[in-house]
Amino acid sequence: MNIQDNYLKNKKNIFFSENKDIETHRAKLINIFENDRFDKKNNESLKNINLKNFIDFKYKYLTPEETSVINNNQENSYSIVSVNGQCSSFKDDKIEISKILDEDYNDFSENNTIEKNDHFVNLNSLFLNSGFKIIIKKNNNIKIKISNIITDDDLTIFQKNNIICEEGSSLNLIEEYENKNNSTSNILNVIKLEKSSQLNHFLIQDNSPNHNLIITSHSSCKKDSTYIQKVYNFSEGYVRNFHYSELTETNSEADLQGIFFLKDNNTSNNKTFVKHLAEDCKSNQVYKGILNDRSKATYFSNTHVDQVAQKTEGYQLSKGILLSDNASYFSKPELKIYADDVKCSHGSTIGPIDENAIFYLRSRGMSKIAATKILISSFINEELSSIDSEQMSEIIQKKLVRYLSKVK
Amino acid sequence: MFLEIKDLSVKIENKNILKSLNLNINKGEVHAIMGPNGSGKSTLANVLAGKEDYEILNGKINFKDNDLFDLNIEERAQEGMFLAFQYPVEIPGVNITPFLHSAINSKRKRMNEEEIDNLSFAKLLKSKASDLGINIDMLKRSVNTGFSGGEKKRYEILQMSILNPDLAILDETDSGLDIDALKIVTDGVNKLKTNDNSFLIITHYQKLLDYIKPDYLHVMVNGSIVKSGGPEIAAEIEKDGFQKFQ
Repeated sequence: MNIQDNYLKNKKNIFFSENKDIETHRAKLINIFENDRFDKKNNESLKNINLKNFIDFKYKYLTPEETSVINNNQENSYSIVSVNGQCSSFKDDKIEISKILDEDYNDFSENNTIEKNDHFVNLNSLFLNSGFKIIIKKNNNIKIKISNIITDDDLTIFQKNNIICEEGSSLNLIEEYENKNNSTSNILNVIKLEKSSQLNHFLIQDNSPNHNLIITSHSSCKKDSTYIQKVYNFSEGYVRNFHYSELTETNSEADLQGIFFLKDNNTSNNKTFVKHLAEDCKSNQVYKGILNDRSKATYFSNTHVDQVAQKTEGYQLSKGILLSDNASYFSKPELKIYADDVKCSHGSTIGPIDENAIFYLRSRGMSKIAATKILISSFINEELSSIDSEQMSEIIQKKLVRYLSKVK
Repeated sequence: MFLEIKDLSVKIENKNILKSLNLNINKGEVHAIMGPNGSGKSTLANVLAGKEDYEILNGKINFKDNDLFDLNIEERAQEGMFLAFQYPVEIPGVNITPFLHSAINSKRKRMNEEEIDNLSFAKLLKSKASDLGINIDMLKRSVNTGFSGGEKKRYEILQMSILNPDLAILDETDSGLDIDALKIVTDGVNKLKTNDNSFLIITHYQKLLDYIKPDYLHVMVNGSIVKSGGPEIAAEIEKDGFQKFQ
């Protein structure tokens, strides 16, 4: 079925299909799909995937019953269960959770950093069927854990979330994606950090082989705000992490980090993009991958420094360990600098595990497999030791041990 | 015989390095090998430790009644062989203390000995480190990472004293050491020497042999041992260089 027929057939289940402006926008998107030649060479969103599988899909969505938001006032912490991309409304003096509205749609569609030819984001806009909005109110310090649950096989979740950290607020957000069913989640998070706010955003991805997760985020940071994102991808199914940040006002900071652990025939596509649009801002983009068997990964990183963004500090680093001759990791760091007083760097190192280090450890009595595992753990030691939450650290360690148990 | 190398020929990347090499070491003996650059000394050390880059063309090595080629790298270490590296590898993120603890326990396991617990190991490590003038703070760091040349060599000797090997091979342990560090390192070796263990010391210079007295000295040139005798050969080398042996 082509995109247009698929859309028209399911229109009644799709958000905002009564809104004329949104419908006009969607007509344009359908037109793109019908006329695009899907140039794999020049479109990063098409690398390593069979787009046909994602375009020619059977739409299926089930609206969930009311879900829970648990508030633990003593610790300023909240647990949210998002079912099929939706969660119940909730409001107190610190946070507000609601369904997304027509007016939020502009935040998603008018975003100019996300590439216009990102077909997955376009699919998300077309078939939008879920999503929520979280507002952290001024000067509050909050912890939220979101468990993302999908109830059935063959569901196609197209979800947009809006997260707003108001002035002076601080949010520690852990998102867990651990789905065992055969479904596809296409999620766009639009994150706004107001003046002097901070968001530490952890994404733990651990889906089963038949679950596809396509997650895109766009964060924008105002004066003195900081966005830190850490992605831990242990999924056995396809995962796409594309994350964009805009530093729009002075002294703001974006730190986009990720680690992925791949095996079998799995694929992961990753991209980070930071746009420096003001003076005295800092950014850091670091992705590390461990690839076994016939797994494949890509990582595109990009720092764009506008001509007004003097005194920018922007760093990029990509590192990969290939545990098998059949694994591949394509990495492409880019810098576009239009200001003259900046400190920027990028680097990429991908290769097999260091045989000299293996020999050294074995010569002290350690088995080859133990030496390999210790070297993998040491490769991501910096990232693991920087996790300051004991609970998070325990979760990640357990998943790492599970991954290492399959390394032969 | 403790270690018996018979007619050993080895090549790497189509280049013959060791050529019909013979060497016997008995329990309690200290042997030194001297030779010019490129004579194959480090290759011999690496082949003994089990490095897999080399192709064994011919020969046999027996170590403590085992055919050495039947043992992989870690089994050789667990059987009591230790190589102090010429260039110890930096391994960021691997902490020294748990690494050494796991190394000693892998050896004990093979010997059917009880594993050493955390507390006893910490005490042992602390006392051995202090004997070698190693700062306790260094034990909190990653293996060889950011160490000076002298620290790396001292740390090799620390590992050796913890693992207490039956046969220790020191591959140019003296290179890059100043006189004070050389004294500390060689004191460490001398303290470890008993009638039950043996040493194979590889060096360019006679200087090291002023501090560790070998029972036998061998001159290695172009992949073979061309002369064996007592420590007095060192004086000959010092006087005339390796030229006369070639």
